[in-house]
Amino acid sequence: MVGNELMISRRSFLESSGNGIGAIALWQMLGLERCASQSHDLRLNGGLHHPAKAKRVIQLFMNGGASQMDLFDYKPLLQAKHGTKFDPGSQERVEAATSQPGNVLGSPFPFARHGECGRWVSDRLPYLAKHVDDMAILLAMTSKTNVHGPASYLMNTGFLLPGFPSFGSWVSYGLGSITEDLPTFVVLPDGRGLPYNQRGNFSSGFLPVTHQGTIIQANLPEPFHGLHAPSTAKFITPQSETEGLQLLGEANRQHWSASDKDSRLEARIRAYELAAKMQLSAPEVFDLSQETTATKRAYGLDNPSTEEFGKRCLLARRMIERGVRFVQVWSGSNGPTGNWDNHSSIIKELPPMTAATDQPTAALLADLKARGLLDDTLLLWNTEFGRMPFSQGSEGRDHNGGTSVGWMAGAGIRPGVAIGESDEWSWKGVRDTVSNYDFHATVLYLLGIDHEQLTVQHDGANRRLTDVHGEIIKAALLD
Amino acid sequence: MRNQETKRMENPLRAFCAMWILGLMGQASFSQSIVPPAGLEVKQSWWSLQPLAYNLPPKEFESQNPVDAFVRERLQASGLHPAPPADRRQLIRRLYFDLIGLPPSPEDIDSFVASTDSDAYEKLVDRLLASPRYGERWARHWMDTAHFAETHGHDQDRIRENAWPYRDYLIDAFNRDKPYSQFVKEQIAADTLASDDPKAIAGLGFLAAGPWDESSLRDIREDTLDREIGRYLDRDDMLSNVMSNFMSLTVHCARCHDHKFDPIPQLDYYALQAVFAGVERANRSYDVDPVVASQRKALRTRGEQLLTLNELTSKELLEEVVQKTVQQWELQRSYRIPDWKSVLDQSITSTDGSLFQLQEDGSFLASGSRPERDTYTIHARASSSLITAIRLEVLNDPSLPFKGPGRQENGNLHLSEIEIAIDGGTSRALKIVRAVADFEQKDWGIARAIDGKLDTAWGIYPEVGKPHEAIFELSEPTQLAEGEFLTIRLKQLHGGGHLIGRFRIATSSASLPIALDPLPPEIATILQVAGSARNKEQRLKLAQYVERVSVEKAQASLPKPFFVYAATAEFEPDGGLKPPAKPRIIHRLDRGDIRNAKEVVEPGALTCIQSIPQRFASLTSKHESLRRAALAEWIVDEDNPLTWRSIVNRVWLLHFGKGIVDTPNDFGRLGSTPTHPELLDWLAIHFRDNGQSMKKLHRLLVTSQTYQQSSRASQCLDQGQVVPRSDQAMRLDSDNYLLWRKDRNRLDAESVRDAMLAVSGQLELRMGGPSDRQFDLKPGRHVTPVIDYHLFEYDGSSGMRRSVYRFLFRTLPDPFMEALDCPAGDQITPIRSNAVTVQQALAMWNDTLVLRLSESFAKRVESNFEEISSQVDFAFQGVIGRRPTKEESEKYVQFARRNGLANFCRFLFNLNEFVFVD
Repeated sequence: MVGNELMISRRSFLESSGNGIGAIALWQMLGLERCASQSHDLRLNGGLHHPAKAKRVIQLFMNGGASQMDLFDYKPLLQAKHGTKFDPGSQERVEAATSQPGNVLGSPFPFARHGECGRWVSDRLPYLAKHVDDMAILLAMTSKTNVHGPASYLMNTGFLLPGFPSFGSWVSYGLGSITEDLPTFVVLPDGRGLPYNQRGNFSSGFLPVTHQGTIIQANLPEPFHGLHAPSTAKFITPQSETEGLQLLGEANRQHWSASDKDSRLEARIRAYELAAKMQLSAPEVFDLSQETTATKRAYGLDNPSTEEFGKRCLLARRMIERGVRFVQVWSGSNGPTGNWDNHSSIIKELPPMTAATDQPTAALLADLKARGLLDDTLLLWNTEFGRMPFSQGSEGRDHNGGTSVGWMAGAGIRPGVAIGESDEWSWKGVRDTVSNYDFHATVLYLLGIDHEQLTVQHDGANRRLTDVHGEIIKAALLD
Repeated sequence: MRNQETKRMENPLRAFCAMWILGLMGQASFSQSIVPPAGLEVKQSWWSLQPLAYNLPPKEFESQNPVDAFVRERLQASGLHPAPPADRRQLIRRLYFDLIGLPPSPEDIDSFVASTDSDAYEKLVDRLLASPRYGERWARHWMDTAHFAETHGHDQDRIRENAWPYRDYLIDAFNRDKPYSQFVKEQIAADTLASDDPKAIAGLGFLAAGPWDESSLRDIREDTLDREIGRYLDRDDMLSNVMSNFMSLTVHCARCHDHKFDPIPQLDYYALQAVFAGVERANRSYDVDPVVASQRKALRTRGEQLLTLNELTSKELLEEVVQKTVQQWELQRSYRIPDWKSVLDQSITSTDGSLFQLQEDGSFLASGSRPERDTYTIHARASSSLITAIRLEVLNDPSLPFKGPGRQENGNLHLSEIEIAIDGGTSRALKIVRAVADFEQKDWGIARAIDGKLDTAWGIYPEVGKPHEAIFELSEPTQLAEGEFLTIRLKQLHGGGHLIGRFRIATSSASLPIALDPLPPEIATILQVAGSARNKEQRLKLAQYVERVSVEKAQASLPKPFFVYAATAEFEPDGGLKPPAKPRIIHRLDRGDIRNAKEVVEPGALTCIQSIPQRFASLTSKHESLRRAALAEWIVDEDNPLTWRSIVNRVWLLHFGKGIVDTPNDFGRLGSTPTHPELLDWLAIHFRDNGQSMKKLHRLLVTSQTYQQSSRASQCLDQGQVVPRSDQAMRLDSDNYLLWRKDRNRLDAESVRDAMLAVSGQLELRMGGPSDRQFDLKPGRHVTPVIDYHLFEYDGSSGMRRSVYRFLFRTLPDPFMEALDCPAGDQITPIRSNAVTVQQALAMWNDTLVLRLSESFAKRVESNFEEISSQVDFAFQGVIGRRPTKEESEKYVQFARRNGLANFCRFLFNLNEFVFVD
């Protein structure tokens, strides 16, 4: 089945053919195809459909629904009407997912303007406030739902239901990997546990499992599944490891020769070679001792409250540097506390979250910038929905899909701009709202992908990350 | 790598290309698949909607298996020759994995290879189909398509304790070779269509197999749009499961608008929503024993009759037999009627700032800001000077979440401790000896309110929205002197605002023990009237009550029912999830948006199959199960062309690696068209009209020459001679659509795992029952537990059963199985991806299970053979199914000497020759 003119011409417009032999086909079978093929078209700068502005992404995800009006979406009216009945004067019924709407709850945190752009930021984010001139902030992001499960799926996969490929999986599928040494899409969950939807948020859905987010737990002897044999397997020695893999390669090659040189058999042989390579090179990336004291301090590794998130931010930078395409760093696990889902008390529950993340996030942004990485890396800060302007219980806030805040910084992003506006209560987005579809379309655009063209036919439809929606947020982009 | 149902945009082009190369482009079907049709008229003429066409197998191939006749004709027409037959070793290994998912033992192989019986292969097929292992293998395929798993998915990924009976139902259905139409009907409407087989109820697990959004459907407020969106999406999953898997249509694409490619109007979609509008996903009770089932049914009917007093029941209740029973009952009543009297002159204080209003009924209603924790102290006078027990009623109020009785967001409360004392004279604490409550939250029983521990408490979740009561019996009757009063402290220290929202306190002076189930006041009043003085109505009411009690008693004495997590209209309410009294009204949603609800839609099926009536409007007012039954009957109608094509294509696909139609769940315009349309229809009719037996279908397919071909590409069979195949011929149909050889496939996750267990002598063949949880499980921070697959201890039998019995955790799947493409149950998976990836190589090389089995396999071999060369030979044969060559043997012995046999076994499990089936 050696390629000939007919096969090659066919392949030239049928990129995913699983047949025929040679490097490209093998890469395709291992889900790494873009790595081999993208170098052919330098004009696209690594993009799939048009030249890319960004090559890689770090997404910081605040699990639980970060309270926009206590962080970025300054609403003096809430203070003025604090304690009164919430009456937005709208036709729409006021409802909350888990509680009865309470009275207006003004933010307990003072706000001030920052940077040349004069962005309002609450006093809970003193470090990030210094970087507002680097961010494009999305002040009216909307969600279709007020429930964690569907909302987290929507923000991570573009659908309300489980089983669809995640953001990072689509990027991995569309662009492939930059390095052979590490997985393409990596997830760093909060040390306290997985977010709402657990691993569903980084599943590859109906895409091949190789595009799924690899969970890294850098503090464990086995940072991700299968990287090393567990220490309990005492029969394995360095010698058996080397000789075993060598013998396996030999035997598999012999079998391959005797089986019409089936390309799938060869792909599997190659997979073991790459696996061995990854085993050797991966541990280096997790070794934070290589960083300077100044860097570690900047990320807050010397402070118990910032250490955990700081380490993961630093790890994200190290992985991006070494060719990981998409890193997702989570803040907050599922559960009643220890996340951004502050139902009981904004004044008690939000400050620990901001305290843990503010300094490391700012440090990551500054570090990426200082190293020039921000030129082709996107830094994203997101959450699944916002919170309500009225109280739940006496001082908590319930879920609000009506409006929330996210921001973007780095490659191709217009710094210092604010896009969109919520109503005077921060109850609903009213101007230039940004949906998850718009947001994903924009990030894909920057990565050189046309969100309408990155599709997979599945179950009767051409599925894409943006479903049938998505407008690029032009105001957030340079030129 | 390619999941065949999951194709890039380019892939329709790819099919186009293959056909173009084969010179088949003139076919109307293919041109249609590329040029979008202009209107419905074109859509209607789509191949899959045409009636089944009976075609005789091509004449010149008549003597062969009909499968071969159709396939060979096509090959001949394309100038292709089939591959020579596979050798017997390959054949037996292929057949074993295919039919039972396990490898043949070296002895099985040897005897098959050596057999001179001309029917040896057919006998082997029959033996494997008769094996219980067959059902285990093929049930797992169906679990993929049904997207079965044992947790809800979503953010609250709770365990479904009763999902497994559906898996056992499937295994049994395959092993018993249930006719396909029966199999379909039981999974959609066993309650109506299989009423003579109570076990078949477990088939209804099909409709509930997919994910369920607990937050949206149980926990958020009933009056929100999010709840209503959740319901439409939930039914969407059910109807997709039915239509994709039984009909191979993508009806769910018509949720927001008429289907863009297929003749499925939006109204049809909502008609299907209406079919499922009467059910929820919940634990459905059923009896396996038909006698018990009929007793339970009779008692239930009797109980329902007794609910209303009409002419008939009244007459019966006044009959002498019944009245005698009443007298008897009255005589036997031994317990006393507690004389509950509300306390008087109450006052209340709070330690943490709760405010209270005294209500007219003597209860306190809490209001104001809700503290995290609180202790209420009530001072009150008792209505009588003697008290033996105290009753705490926790009551509902519209101002409370879910109407209370608690103030927590979910309506719950937690009473950490109750303390009762006498003050105002001789102050003394009263000792409580026993506490009973009408309801206890799991792990939050009433005993925890009197155990002296502040970190344990009584709770009532999920039974919120209704009043509850707890009774506290004192260690001795207590006499209150003049001026003495009661002090009752309700400590509620759990936090999170788990506070009592409304409550009332009463005392009793009746002697102990006080029964918890006090008579309804009405009955108590009747009993105070002497028997002879009771009027007719009183006698009726009493008889009704006594009869109902006796029914309840009889019900309680029946063996406990079985439960299956299934579609059901009747179940125990669980928090905000309650049985719907009648089917919900379904509206067409313009653009699929809940805010754009349009006309009401009656239940029905698809209008594109015009030969069968498709609206069930007459059923709207009847029991919901009749809607599902009507749909099931519609699906298995012999004139429904999709059903029969769908199933034979599915079975074909699982044997050959690709379907006659490449997209098994999409026979619409975006799907593929059949490579062998005449064969597909022949199979469909043959299957439909000959008992609808899966086993017969398997037998037909696997005994064909087409199935028994070698997977070698480089050789072919030309006029009975094995000759080299030309490069040109190999290229002609490189994807093997025309079946000129057998595809070489990677073993699926279950086969890899089961084969490793089997060859290492660890496989335990115990069938059925609750799934094996092969992970360490700890309570999570929220609903979803924390599970760790690495910490599981494989010693003990729960690690060693066949993979079909593994517990399937939707959002936390086993990473080893996942690396081998085992689906998580989020999406319908008619075809698994069959990838080879770096992650998979890492998993096969390093996963704990592989290493454990390498070790135990080595131990087993070492205990049987002394010589290392025999050990190597034996292990190799067990895993690979042939003897090593001399050269291999020498190399392997050397490796095993240097590194030990366990490392050799690890090597074996990673060989391509093990992982692929020729």
